[in-house]
Amino acid sequence: MKVEQIVEATLFASQTPLTADEVARADENLDAESVVGAIQALREAYEESERAFQIYQLGDGYQILTRPEYAPYLERFDSVPRAPHLSPAALETLAIVAYRNPIGRIEIEEVRGVSASSVLRTLLDWELVEVVGRGEGLGRPLLYGVTRKFLEHFGLKDLTDLPAPDELPVVLGELQQAMEAELEEAGADEDEEGVEEPGPKEASPVKEAEEEAT
Amino acid sequence: MSPSAPVRGASPRGIEPFQVSLERFEGPLDLLLHLIRSQDIDIFDIPIARITEQFVRALEDELEAMPIERAGEFLEMAATLVRIKAQLLLPRPEQPDWEEDPRAELVRRLLEYEHFQDVVHVLEGAEAQRGRHFAKGYIEGRPLPALAPVELQLTLVDFLAVAARIPEPAPPIVMRPPSQTVTVEEKVSLLRRLLAKTKRVSFDRLFKPWGTRAHAVAALLAALELARQQALRIEQVKPFASIWLLPGDRKQAQAAAAAAETAEGAE
Repeated sequence: MKVEQIVEATLFASQTPLTADEVARADENLDAESVVGAIQALREAYEESERAFQIYQLGDGYQILTRPEYAPYLERFDSVPRAPHLSPAALETLAIVAYRNPIGRIEIEEVRGVSASSVLRTLLDWELVEVVGRGEGLGRPLLYGVTRKFLEHFGLKDLTDLPAPDELPVVLGELQQAMEAELEEAGADEDEEGVEEPGPKEASPVKEAEEEAT
Repeated sequence: MSPSAPVRGASPRGIEPFQVSLERFEGPLDLLLHLIRSQDIDIFDIPIARITEQFVRALEDELEAMPIERAGEFLEMAATLVRIKAQLLLPRPEQPDWEEDPRAELVRRLLEYEHFQDVVHVLEGAEAQRGRHFAKGYIEGRPLPALAPVELQLTLVDFLAVAARIPEPAPPIVMRPPSQTVTVEEKVSLLRRLLAKTKRVSFDRLFKPWGTRAHAVAALLAALELARQQALRIEQVKPFASIWLLPGDRKQAQAAAAAAETAEGAE
């Protein structure tokens, strides 16, 4: 029997994502590497034969799921759940935890400008975030990170599936640039007027240092 | 997936920046960002006086109805805005740079917040996309086939056989008040009769044969009544031991009482 068929049967029979290691338990001759190879071959085969399903990677697991274009047909059945929606507060908190991972509650609240304790409790209950350690500092605050279930919920392989911070509409970079532009402008004005004031020039040694470094 | 569209540019929450319902805002940063973005204000040059006024006006009506924690979050931002406004009124160096602009920290927070709103839109898109994939087991199994109609042919014997399988209903439990009552007087006369016959009577004997609480109570009251009349004495060796009722020696008791009186008179 071929490796591909064993892997296919295993994934077909499972209702939850399985890691390559978990699939490999199906047969002594399998290992994670051969499972990943078989999954790749199956994917291509499904693609080629235009199957209504595909093997998707969710976190570190693999699962056979229907292709999105068939959702309208499946949603006609009452037992098929509508797409789940997390609340804005939950999404906001998850966004911060996913990008600042690991992060403490206080830091989350600083970004959001509102309390995060109740939403964090909910996310912990839903296993979308977990405690990943304790921070330095007063009271050794708990640090949170996102979970495998988070990746499964959003259909992500890992956190690099999310756009890098500078690929987003570059608001933070924009701030940096604007500040620098502002500083340069201030410097230029001074030069034109020929006024030597020590105060506003404070920033220039830093700039010089940067230039030296590069 | 284009995460940028909903936050930037035209306000998604309506054009009028003043009539805002705070319920729609996650918090003060969200509201502030809405005020700025919906009026096409340059975020690096926020007109603090105008924005503060709008922010406070948005709070006015709803602050009292808010949970105190949430109200505090909005008020803290209002206080920050007023503080920045005050700082801007102070004399400054002629060439302000960003480090000295009191608005800089607020702008940094707003942009950071907006940055994460972009992430929220990415996550929303991913969530919606993931919701369009289905695993196995979501569609319910086919319903059981309808039973074919069967003609009903029943004899009396069949009917009785089925009826016999129905368990007899258990006899209902009826609570009745005790029909027989007993009076203290009855126990008193019983006790007198017994004491006349024997030297001592076990207290148990007065109620054990009937076995009800009413008899025990009547017996106890009867014994106490007779003891009060000094017609009997009650003896018990130790707690929980049997209680014995003995005939009271009325003469002796009267003599004791008389002795006590003479002693008082002698004094």
